[in-house]
Amino acid sequence: MNAYINNYELLCDAGDTEGLMEAIYTKKSAITVDENYLKDRTAGLGIMQYSNIFDVLEDIAQKVLDSSNLENFNDTLLILGSSVGGMQECEDIFYSQKSYKNIDPDRYSMNVLTEHLGKKFGFYDVRALSTACTSSANALLLAKRLIDVEAYDNILVVGADGLCYSTVLGFSALGVLSDKACKPFDEDRDGMNVSEAVAMLLIQNVKTPDSIELKGVGASSDAYHMTNPDPEATGAISSMKSAIKDAGLSVDDIDYINAHGTATLANDRVESLAIEKLFEHNVYVSSTKAITGHTLGAAGAIEAIISCEVIKKSLIPPQTGLKNQENKNINIPKESVSMKIKNIVSNSFAFGGNNASVVVGECQ
Amino acid sequence: MKLYIKNFSSYRSDKEEIDIKKTLKQKYKYDTRRQDAFIHLAVYGAKLLSEKVEIKPDDEFYLTSGVGNIDVVQRTNTTVYENNEALKLFDFINLLGNTTSYYVASALGLKSKNIFQISDNFTYINSLISLYASINNSKKDAILCAIDLLSEPPEITKRVFGADEVQKMCSSVNYQKFSLSKKDAIAEIEFDAKIYSLEEIKAQLVYNNHQIETSKTKMFETLASYKVNDALKDGSDLVFIECFEDRYKILKLKSLR
Repeated sequence: MNAYINNYELLCDAGDTEGLMEAIYTKKSAITVDENYLKDRTAGLGIMQYSNIFDVLEDIAQKVLDSSNLENFNDTLLILGSSVGGMQECEDIFYSQKSYKNIDPDRYSMNVLTEHLGKKFGFYDVRALSTACTSSANALLLAKRLIDVEAYDNILVVGADGLCYSTVLGFSALGVLSDKACKPFDEDRDGMNVSEAVAMLLIQNVKTPDSIELKGVGASSDAYHMTNPDPEATGAISSMKSAIKDAGLSVDDIDYINAHGTATLANDRVESLAIEKLFEHNVYVSSTKAITGHTLGAAGAIEAIISCEVIKKSLIPPQTGLKNQENKNINIPKESVSMKIKNIVSNSFAFGGNNASVVVGECQ
Repeated sequence: MKLYIKNFSSYRSDKEEIDIKKTLKQKYKYDTRRQDAFIHLAVYGAKLLSEKVEIKPDDEFYLTSGVGNIDVVQRTNTTVYENNEALKLFDFINLLGNTTSYYVASALGLKSKNIFQISDNFTYINSLISLYASINNSKKDAILCAIDLLSEPPEITKRVFGADEVQKMCSSVNYQKFSLSKKDAIAEIEFDAKIYSLEEIKAQLVYNNHQIETSKTKMFETLASYKVNDALKDGSDLVFIECFEDRYKILKLKSLR
């Protein structure tokens, strides 16, 4: 059974889908250099314009529904991918009361986002995946597999993570947080930007005139180190290879790779190596995290939407912020490239060597 | 959807009092540093499973929980807001869902896919569906860990679960190894994605000579996994019906012993 991405929408620091794509092609990073979020240091953060995350979730879900062939979500499975779910809510409760004494079960961490959407829209069923930065990529992977076995006809994949102290302080403690807009694949890169976003894709077993096919998915776990990828890039290679094989394609069929490209020293070095080793042709590679920052659990969904747009616009995104390319054996364009784009690999890699790749492409 | 169970492991804190961390260190020579009680519980269950069934590097791994690691959320927030201290590095790392999966994968030597799925409704059955959909494509075997940790003090867990203060709860970890192949299986398990109404469920319960047990006290979200293991231990058949807000899901276990 084929799986099709039929409708989507997002909100991130660069705005909605249209705003984000404009920012990508005009190379305008949406990162804010913030001096207030952390007490003792400046941080480059990706901040959305919103009042609360529930309103954003409702708004985007409604937009996807309105543009779809569905009357409601009553027969639709909701799969959320998020690294820390409703942690913002937890923090708010704790911050105001200094205690969990009055914690509301409906406002606790992970389930709060799925429960809210589930109740608001009456989804048939809901579930949430939390695999840190691969969360919504794994949600896409699961969606494809569930459509394969005909368990569901319609699946709304949601990637969502709000900015919260736990993640910003955590990445700061890890020493990988940049104090300016990140520079993926640059030899002078100095870390990532933590960002927030909500992205939703409606995956269905029927093709519509605007469909992009979710052709293949792949995952691996190298379990090499808790926070560092295997330096030989075996995990990253394995996830890309299995996604391409799942799509029934060969590596030569891939026109563009939307890289995980966080701009941390370890990720970009290993991901570059993986691409260099696996792809013998001059496949285009860029990381749109230079625009959005790293939206953590939402990144897989955000970048799947970007990949769909890239196919529709026939325009390879340029690499923003790149001056001195570290690995010169991969093909990173500094300006947009206009060309027919049939297939794209989108990578998401996470702590613990948890790797996920998805292949999206034009429908046959 | 049908899967075969190769073997299982089970631990429940109210049935057996064990110092998990000490057991991991002394019996299994496992390095417990940088990990917390939630991870220790998951790894302990994995070690028990590995004593009963062969674990292959390409086995897929799924970990599911009702609400995940409540302790670490409480700990990080306390550090930052109450004590006004910097977030401890390993608290942050342990906060992330796939950290537990990583430690289990490392302990078992797994190199394949691992997924942490969290859900406070149909926790176990929904994870079975995900697992089935995945290995139906990969044709690999898969391990499912269902885990819930009763945090200290227990009142926090009860509030997060929305349970009464008097509700009896416990920590539990239950593993099964699943396969699409019947070879060497001890049981088969059937389930589907359908959500049933009460009337539909009543129609499903037209069995003769079957004992019907109603679990009014919800001890933990992954109770279904424990009940499956309990039946596996006895070699008995089981029909398990899970209810969430007047919606029902059903799984059927048939012993092959």
